Amino acid sequence: MLKIVNFSKSYKGGKRAVDGLNLEVESGDIFGFIGHNGAGKTTTIRAIAGVLDFEEGDILIDGVSIKKDPVSCKKITAYIPDNPDLYEHLTGIAYLNFIGDIYEIGKAERKQAIEKYADAFELTADLGDRISSYSHGMKQKLAIISALIHKPKLLVLDEPFVGLDPKAAHTLKTIMAEMCRNGGAIFFSTHVLEVAEKLCNKVGIIKNGRLVAYGLTQQVTGDSSLEDVFMELIDTDGSKKGTVQA
Amino acid sequence: MKKVLRLVSVQIWAMLAGMVSVGDYKKKKTKALFSGFIAFTVIIIAASFAYAYLTGSGLMAFNSVEILPSMFMSVTSIVVLFTTIYKVKGTVFGFKDYDLVMSMPVSNGKIVASRLLLLYFINLYFVLIIMLPMAAAYGMLARPGFIFYLFSILTVFFIPLIPIIIASLLGTVFAFISGRLRYSNILYIVLIFAVLVTWIIIPGFLGDSEEAMVEISKVISGRIDKIYPMATLYSRAVTQGNVLALVIFLTVSVLAFLVYSWVVGKVFIKINTEIMTGRHKADYRMGELKSSSPLMALYKREFKRYFASPVYVLNTGFGMVILLLFAIAMPFIDLDRMLGDMQITGTIGKYLPPIIMFCMGTSCTTMASVSIEGKNLWIVKSLPVPASTVFASKILVNLSVLSPAVLASVLMGIILKIPFINGLLTVFTVISFALFISAFGLAVNLSFPNLTWSNETVIVKQSAASSITVLSCTCISGLQLGLTTVIRNFRLSIFISLCLIWLLNVLLYKRLAGKGARQFEEL
Repeated sequence: MLKIVNFSKSYKGGKRAVDGLNLEVESGDIFGFIGHNGAGKTTTIRAIAGVLDFEEGDILIDGVSIKKDPVSCKKITAYIPDNPDLYEHLTGIAYLNFIGDIYEIGKAERKQAIEKYADAFELTADLGDRISSYSHGMKQKLAIISALIHKPKLLVLDEPFVGLDPKAAHTLKTIMAEMCRNGGAIFFSTHVLEVAEKLCNKVGIIKNGRLVAYGLTQQVTGDSSLEDVFMELIDTDGSKKGTVQA
Repeated sequence: MKKVLRLVSVQIWAMLAGMVSVGDYKKKKTKALFSGFIAFTVIIIAASFAYAYLTGSGLMAFNSVEILPSMFMSVTSIVVLFTTIYKVKGTVFGFKDYDLVMSMPVSNGKIVASRLLLLYFINLYFVLIIMLPMAAAYGMLARPGFIFYLFSILTVFFIPLIPIIIASLLGTVFAFISGRLRYSNILYIVLIFAVLVTWIIIPGFLGDSEEAMVEISKVISGRIDKIYPMATLYSRAVTQGNVLALVIFLTVSVLAFLVYSWVVGKVFIKINTEIMTGRHKADYRMGELKSSSPLMALYKREFKRYFASPVYVLNTGFGMVILLLFAIAMPFIDLDRMLGDMQITGTIGKYLPPIIMFCMGTSCTTMASVSIEGKNLWIVKSLPVPASTVFASKILVNLSVLSPAVLASVLMGIILKIPFINGLLTVFTVISFALFISAFGLAVNLSFPNLTWSNETVIVKQSAASSITVLSCTCISGLQLGLTTVIRNFRLSIFISLCLIWLLNVLLYKRLAGKGARQFEEL
């Protein structure tokens, strides 16, 4: 579903944010992308979402290059940034309807999907209010609903659990699991290692722009916890032997 | 005071950074912008001097040259007042970095003072480039003593204070009233438009047809003196060297500033809470949903975004409002009598295209349409639509904003009894120029984007993109005026400019499809 091939990104001034990244996320995978602050997670995620331009390497979504045919890739992808700034002048329902129009979702299907997810996240009553009056968590919920209503094949999330209350976080985890059971794939970054360990069947650890561990979660962690592996990799140089498969 | 100045300096740097789009810093662009800024300053200084000298010469004939300084001071004050009202929301109240600034260990009074000083510094530049050339012109005409120059320089720094305070008061009241209603931004825009139009249109209707320009100047000056006593004080201080008037003028200005800062500081949080807190009813029930095509959805979103920003609408919609109101009012005005020229109707008919084009040049919404996305840009960029569809939605909004120009050209053509072919050519020119403006503004904004703004005024009024677009469009309408004057054949002049506009249109739309799309992807 998602294939990243030799992806590198340098910023003005020469800083290499991501360096030769290779990884693959298949249908049914929940992939946890882990790394310290400034490791290159958001840069990678923004490039997958087609928001960030890049020169080196390629990113393929369902076999299609995001560089060559971004529109086709975006049609089957949903992206939620870490701090989603939404159109504050719109009401929640107007924003969801806007997304429905852009993804060309039929009226009945749209209504059904909005009802399903807005009820799940307990946001239905607030949909008539302007987004500017929403709390951070409510904005996060709205962004998640907007990402789900067009039934994406690939869900790309940057720190999706930040700002969500425990119930909403549980709802999101349930929806993520359901989506993967139905053949979808999820690529998400998180700092909450317990969540990644429990939820993801695959993980990747990025350090200073390079992938230092990657594979099935059980394979990466072995007998240790993900936290122990992460701390070991962050504190030492090099990659975790036998786990970088890219 | 140190904290106030520190807060102001941070804001000014943020504003300057916004003007040169530091995020996309390029030395050549900054150099070009700096040259443009110098050129603009020189042009305004020259125009102000020429206008002051001509008006002063006329007043000399009536032994009334002493009203020149107060006349200029009054007009400058009005300009400061009207260009500040719509900046209040976003600068003094409801500004984006409110949480950050309010979390600092600085008193509310000092924060208010810093926000007012920010407005002051923005306005001071304009006051200086208008008032100093006037002082030079007055000096050449009236040969006043040293005191005139001393008092002129001393007072010029205090001229913007009272208008800024009045604007701040009015802006706050408007924001406060509109904030209590559902369509708050629309009401805010309507209220400010109403005040502006009342000031500009009504005196025009009241004007006496027999009055010569000098007489009109005297009447306006007298009228302003009555409603704005500061102008009288200023006049007495500067032209008569009256020290008491000078002291009162300076004291009132400074005291008003301090008292206003202190009083507003007391209710600052309350007002901001009122203005910034949205309505929250939480009573929505799912009903029927309307669906539309991706382009129409983007268009509707763009349209709503436009009307959600009073600064954006007031800056880019005013030309169209005035044009439309003028067209509607035309049958009720005897232009020949009013302007003292029996042939004026025919002359206006001939110059209709450049007049409408000038108003259109000030109504370019695309010049800030990319920058206004700001932190929301990720939404449009992650949507499954090509850049061309996004561009089309932005161009369509601009064309909608410019549509009153087509209506006005038809109305004016009928009222002025322009020959059918000439009227048709005028309408076609207006449509062609509308297509040009929309594409040109977008192309310029893609080259000079600013997505890191903290105040919409920066991208709408003070950005490189807005300055380049408005100046270029105004110059093109000036060229059309020149063509109509030089080539006395109306149809030939229109034909030449239509050829040029369409050549530019083809080049611009090609550029948007190629380089423009790439620039958008790189943002």
